Amino acid sequence: MPDTPPDAVECPHCGEPFPDERLRDLHRGLEHYDRLDDAEREAFDEAYLAENADLRSFRLRALAVLVLLYFGFLILYAVVTL
Amino acid sequence: MYRRGARALGVVVGLAAICGVALAHGGNLRDATQQELAVPTWLFLSTGGAVVGASFLLASFVTDRAFVEAVHGWSRALPAPRTLLAWVARVAGVVGFAGVVVTGFFGPVDALRNAAIMLVWVGWWAGLVMATYLVGNAWPAVDPFRTLTRPVAWLAPESGRDLSPGRAAWTSAGFLLVLVWVEVVSPLADDPPLLAAAALGYLAVAVVGVVVVGHDQWFDRVDPLARLFRTYGAVAPVQRTTNGLRLRLPAARLTDRVAATPGDVAFVVALLWGTTFDGLVATPAWASFARELVTLGVPAPVLYPAALFVGFLGFHRLYWWSAHAARETAPTFTDARTLGVRFVPSLLAIAAGYHLAHYLVYFLSLSPALLGALLAPANPPVARTLVLPSWLSGVGVAAVLVGHLLAIWVSHGTAYDQFPGRLQAIRSQYPLTAVMILYTMVSLWIVGQPEVPPPFL
Repeated sequence: MPDTPPDAVECPHCGEPFPDERLRDLHRGLEHYDRLDDAEREAFDEAYLAENADLRSFRLRALAVLVLLYFGFLILYAVVTL
Repeated sequence: MYRRGARALGVVVGLAAICGVALAHGGNLRDATQQELAVPTWLFLSTGGAVVGASFLLASFVTDRAFVEAVHGWSRALPAPRTLLAWVARVAGVVGFAGVVVTGFFGPVDALRNAAIMLVWVGWWAGLVMATYLVGNAWPAVDPFRTLTRPVAWLAPESGRDLSPGRAAWTSAGFLLVLVWVEVVSPLADDPPLLAAAALGYLAVAVVGVVVVGHDQWFDRVDPLARLFRTYGAVAPVQRTTNGLRLRLPAARLTDRVAATPGDVAFVVALLWGTTFDGLVATPAWASFARELVTLGVPAPVLYPAALFVGFLGFHRLYWWSAHAARETAPTFTDARTLGVRFVPSLLAIAAGYHLAHYLVYFLSLSPALLGALLAPANPPVARTLVLPSWLSGVGVAAVLVGHLLAIWVSHGTAYDQFPGRLQAIRSQYPLTAVMILYTMVSLWIVGQPEVPPPFL
């Protein structure tokens, strides 16, 4: 990786760098699950659950954008074909 | 188990809903543009863009890794007598090639009654290419150039030259752009002897290629036609593997590593831009733009190759911009080269959708002429064209949109395979989705334009 900053978190098993620890923990759990010790597996579970909360808030925002798109176009069509 | 089933059902219903909306929009709007109803072009185009954007948001609701993987990995064995089929296809390919050369030189002059013109443009360039992405790639077996150059490979000494796959793919992309240019500017679709000469010329190029780099390397890496069919074939549900034919979901193979080098990226972009360019030069806007440029002093012969080249560079730049930008939005430290190569196959679903939009009506309306010319090549009946129902032109708009929806779903699946974080995978798709929305609008605009003959040809 040519432009990896020095503060990148690396995977101890394959050396791949990640922007933060949570992504590193997720990567470890998905790619090297058999080689992890209990603490690392727990870190994977935590990272996965923490991501669930973020995903929930992302879904809410995505839903808001969909609703805006739908009604935006509805009104746009109503105005244009008036 | 129940939850799994419910989730699968939910996704199917959701996707069906998007496609239904897309089809409804496509059909209605196309009719609208044709009947000069009150919906202006900008609204038609932004609705198309919004359908793609909304489908990205809907795809982002599917965050179950195991499910995404199961959808893309599903496959079934397809028993088929492969050796027999391959021989039948080889014979058909060589007979077809001989037929094109003979009827090209000695057949009727009228293009619509000439078997060479009909077979190459209607049967092969429209029909076989459509069959390649809708069913499966049969070209390696049919390919008469591959079959006819095999004796050359036995006679010529084995070339020790080893081509780098990346450079070979770049050469292939360059060749493809040259072919698109020749197809657009030359009267190959009206002049049977010229078409027969072009077929022989392509055979000569293949012979030289086989002598210089070897049969395997020429057809597996350099030959633009073989690569074109192989690339389109990746979209198809029927796939050839080492253990025989396998059935997969349409476009599911695009999440595998279909492309390997930046050269492959260039080829896919050239394929996409080539089909777009083909449609673009037939629009009235291009005609007036070209006339404007020529009045300003641009020499007419330079116009088409220059536009082809500049457009390719633009598309290529835009795609790589999206790969670089994905590193920031995800965020990730994976280099842009890996990301660009990984996500480029999703564009193939778009290229296939656009090809279908461009050629379906052409193929169906000319199919009686093709059949007539094939059954009696020496003295074909008066060429007939099929009168098609008007709703069929709406299929073009629908094909463009469905191609984009598949592309969104493919890049969603690829992102889930590539990135450890689920939200990271979704965020990595922002730039590519923006590029796709832009491209939907461009291609819908072209599909919605009336066709005029390109000027200065």
